[in-house]
Amino acid sequence: MTKSACCGCTFSTEKVNNSYVLGGLRQWIDPEKTPTVGRTPDYRFSLANERTFLAWIRTGLALIAGGLGVAQFLPPLPIAHLREIMAILLLVLGGLVALRAVDHWARTERAMRLGQELPGSRFPAVLAVAVALGAVAMIVAVVVQAAG
Amino acid sequence: MTGDDHGAAAERTRLAWRRTALSAGVVGLLAARPAFHPDAGVPQWITAALSGLGWSFLVAIAYRRARALMKSPPHPGRRTIAAYALTTVALAALASLVVML
Repeated sequence: MTKSACCGCTFSTEKVNNSYVLGGLRQWIDPEKTPTVGRTPDYRFSLANERTFLAWIRTGLALIAGGLGVAQFLPPLPIAHLREIMAILLLVLGGLVALRAVDHWARTERAMRLGQELPGSRFPAVLAVAVALGAVAMIVAVVVQAAG
Repeated sequence: MTGDDHGAAAERTRLAWRRTALSAGVVGLLAARPAFHPDAGVPQWITAALSGLGWSFLVAIAYRRARALMKSPPHPGRRTIAAYALTTVALAALASLVVML
């Protein structure tokens, strides 16, 4: 059986259908009931998973606050709407972080119930690269402005 | 199975919920800020009201969850978590609206 990872969810490729997607959403809301699998882990592990989720939510909230800050406190930029585009990019990134946080929390909860290995993720690396690229772009903008 | 940690794990989690609710406050205030501009109109008032509503919801959920964590042993969070994440996404969408108005 081939396993593939899409949106961070591991599943057998033959079963990609609507019921899987709905099952995934149900899992967000109630990872204990759907499916009724495994056993309840030590509550400390569940709480640690919850704190990790909250840390990601705060990261998302910080990105959203950053987007609003860019839109409200940056002076208008020489390129039309560049300020608004930067703000929207940050807001979309913040929303993505929040969605991915709940998905990762649900998959971790399920893995703990089943006694499986915890799900890995490339998302932190992707986010780090995105933030680093943003910082480089800012440095270039500042240097260009100082020189010109 | 459930070792005695004297409630430290639950305490840390309660504090994490409080921190998160405070972070949400920053977003709520920034999203409501355009309504205090002298040229603010009905759209700004509506988005400010909605952001205030979203923020109150996030604070209320966090408070409720923090109270639930006082029980020993605490139950793992379930619907609360999805509700929190989806409300955050809704705030991001609202913030995009505020930026584009």
